[in-house]
Amino acid sequence: MHRRITSPENLEAVSRGLAAERDDGRVLMTVCGGPGCQASRCHDVASEIRKQVKDRELEKKIRLRVTGCHGFCEQGPIVLVGPEKIFYCRVKQEDVREILDHAANGGGAVERLLYTDPDTGRTVIHEADVPFYRAQTPDLLLQNRQVDPLSIEDYLAIGGYSALGKILAGMEPEKVIQEVTDSGLRGLGGAGFPTGRKWAACRAAYGEEKYVVCNADEGDPGAFMDRGILEGNPHAVIEGMIIGAWAIGAQEGYIYVRNEYPIAVEHARIAVGQARDYGFLGANILGSGLDFDISITRGAGAFVCGESTALMVSLEGKVGEPRPKDVEPVERGLWNKPTTVNNVETWANIPSIIRKGAGWFAGIGTEKSKGTKILALTGQVRNTGLVEVAFGTTIRTIVEDIGGGGLDGKKIKAVQTGGPSGGCLPESMFDLPVDFDLLQEKGSMVGSGGLVVLDEDACMVDVAKYFLKFLQDESCGKCVPCRIGVSRLLEIVTDITEGRGKPEYLDLLEDLGETVAQTSLCGLGKTAPNPVLSTLKYFRDEYEAHINEKRCPAHICKALIRYVIDPDKCNGCMACLSACPSGAIHGEKKQVHTIDTGMCDKCGICVTVCGRGAISVQ
Amino acid sequence: MSQYITLNIDGSDVSTPKGSSVMEAALRYGICIPHLCYLPTISESGACRICIVENIVDGKPVITSSCTLVAKEGMVIRTNTEKIRRLRRNIAELLVAQAPNSRALQDIAVKCGVKEVRYPFRHDDCVLCGRCVRVCEDLYQARAIGFIGRGSQRYVGFPFDVRPDFCKRCWACVDLCLMKETPCDGPMEIGKEYLCGKCESTIFAGQYDAGDCIRCDMGKGFGCTRHKF
Repeated sequence: MHRRITSPENLEAVSRGLAAERDDGRVLMTVCGGPGCQASRCHDVASEIRKQVKDRELEKKIRLRVTGCHGFCEQGPIVLVGPEKIFYCRVKQEDVREILDHAANGGGAVERLLYTDPDTGRTVIHEADVPFYRAQTPDLLLQNRQVDPLSIEDYLAIGGYSALGKILAGMEPEKVIQEVTDSGLRGLGGAGFPTGRKWAACRAAYGEEKYVVCNADEGDPGAFMDRGILEGNPHAVIEGMIIGAWAIGAQEGYIYVRNEYPIAVEHARIAVGQARDYGFLGANILGSGLDFDISITRGAGAFVCGESTALMVSLEGKVGEPRPKDVEPVERGLWNKPTTVNNVETWANIPSIIRKGAGWFAGIGTEKSKGTKILALTGQVRNTGLVEVAFGTTIRTIVEDIGGGGLDGKKIKAVQTGGPSGGCLPESMFDLPVDFDLLQEKGSMVGSGGLVVLDEDACMVDVAKYFLKFLQDESCGKCVPCRIGVSRLLEIVTDITEGRGKPEYLDLLEDLGETVAQTSLCGLGKTAPNPVLSTLKYFRDEYEAHINEKRCPAHICKALIRYVIDPDKCNGCMACLSACPSGAIHGEKKQVHTIDTGMCDKCGICVTVCGRGAISVQ
Repeated sequence: MSQYITLNIDGSDVSTPKGSSVMEAALRYGICIPHLCYLPTISESGACRICIVENIVDGKPVITSSCTLVAKEGMVIRTNTEKIRRLRRNIAELLVAQAPNSRALQDIAVKCGVKEVRYPFRHDDCVLCGRCVRVCEDLYQARAIGFIGRGSQRYVGFPFDVRPDFCKRCWACVDLCLMKETPCDGPMEIGKEYLCGKCESTIFAGQYDAGDCIRCDMGKGFGCTRHKF
């Protein structure tokens, strides 16, 4: 049932009709179909519900919707039932019958599938009461829960494209830009550049042809907020881009999405097709005379292509390498034409800003960082997943209230924010709010929104080494400071972790790190030393222990640790001896065993098999 | 007649044709900004970062490469501050450690004030300045060589590593290569590399200062624009 919508008034009528159609008294069952839940087989659950609803003739009572990511990936697959949102977690295929029984008869909740609050030990019935969600301020993730990403009708029913209707019904481009500027929205892809200013510069730039680009080349390890949105609510991104095109005067748009996100590619493609069918893309959109269309381009797997200039070079079909930014892309970008590149999350925020007004958006957040930010909470924390918080929420709230504290009750030592080129902040700074400028001041950054929690078992030198390795592999190799500088940083840090460190290395790391940060060509190089500089700033004692005492405090760096058997505890059971893959353990039955340090590979298997806890790491 | 604009470099007002880079403007007036990957008449890439300068924007210095920075009316540029000298020295140190057998890089290192190399020497030889690739593409329109691979695996080579027919064997790439000249004492043995430093006396005898070109011999090594080659 495709209806081409020809005017803003027509759009309003259609939306109202679709909303009424959805309000039919049936119980809505929402299954989260985000990447995390898919990995825990949510599609089996969804198809089981579909099958049973059909077999048991419950179509008149139950309505099923598979949506994008809700955020609480740790507890997936997640099923929400009814308007009051009964929250079932870790649902399996065989649980479906029971859930349906309760849902169809309107009879309460299935107790055993509810979420148990680990702090109080009590079960939680409704989604809103789950501690993970309580401190969040969801806007985009809330929309994710309300729409089926494959259905433009769902998006229209919650008021989608009404922002587009509003501007096309008589809001001048300058007014739109003013609204975005007033909202205080900043680029949520990492740099935090004021979006309104970018648009204004692009509108003012000389040229007939202009482009808008959506940067969905999200390459940070462990981060998936852009994926969550593009997979879960692609129409919000598309609507944002159309509004952007109207504001700056662009005729063409591109969504540059990484090829490793096949579902995001597919959903975006389907959504663009639906938008075209409905007349939101193409010629004469909503009868306003605006011509605009979007193409989808798949990235070929280079991290650096998330950098705006490299992304545009890649879009042109060349090798994705950054260009000097002395002339901003808003003046000479894609095909040397004025181009606005924004991140998925930034685009997705635009419709809400236009719909609810700049004042609403500006009312959330801190003085200079407005609105909300989706963070990918991962690492050694109890609750992992996507969290959407208002700017200004402290890191402690995110880690302890939303994240639920350390895994297995371990003490949390630090968080690494902003992806591989972000920095580490120690526990003592957890009262810092999430804010573009404040975090940058402290040597870290909001970045794209990765938040990796590290507990006491993590070695900060090793963490720095891991990220440097990633950045060395992903550097495009064009400029000297990034290519050679990062490889030298890695060389020095590797020396330190392998026991060859010298005291003067610390000054060298700082000096070289600053050089790379100041002189690199693009954002990747400029932020590449962050992991080492921030760990050096806050965890200098760990570096010193590695260098001066040749000791790894967290027992991670293999060259600096030694496995030893406590002769008082060992009873000569031979379990470790037979388990050791390198034959490094010697001893007779019922005699105390010894480890030959020269042969030991430090794999740690002996520790896990020893029943008496006789083997320890020194 | 081309239009001229005026900008301020290191305290002096200089005028330069509209559209030229800050580097060109500076060199025209004898303000020496050391450079490596920059070549006149060939497109600039901003890869070596030796030619960094401070561009004062709203009172704050922004560090950028002068070869890619287009001169604009009223710009304020600092080429020789304490900070720039230190950063430039560090980059030159990285470069010379990468390819100690290049006279050009040894000279650049001396010119930028490198006194010791704090890293183990590597014999990568090619520092991927891209002069060969750009001369092949821009001047001879052959595109017979290009960059292959990414990051630390990046190297210069023929397409699929086979010399194509459209390579005219003009040797322009070889002529411009930084590795063409070895240090005065000849190639260094692996494990016995050192910072040559022979030209150092020349610099300090002439009281080297930015803006005070001594027409040093080393300019040949990195194709200084004041040596017509």
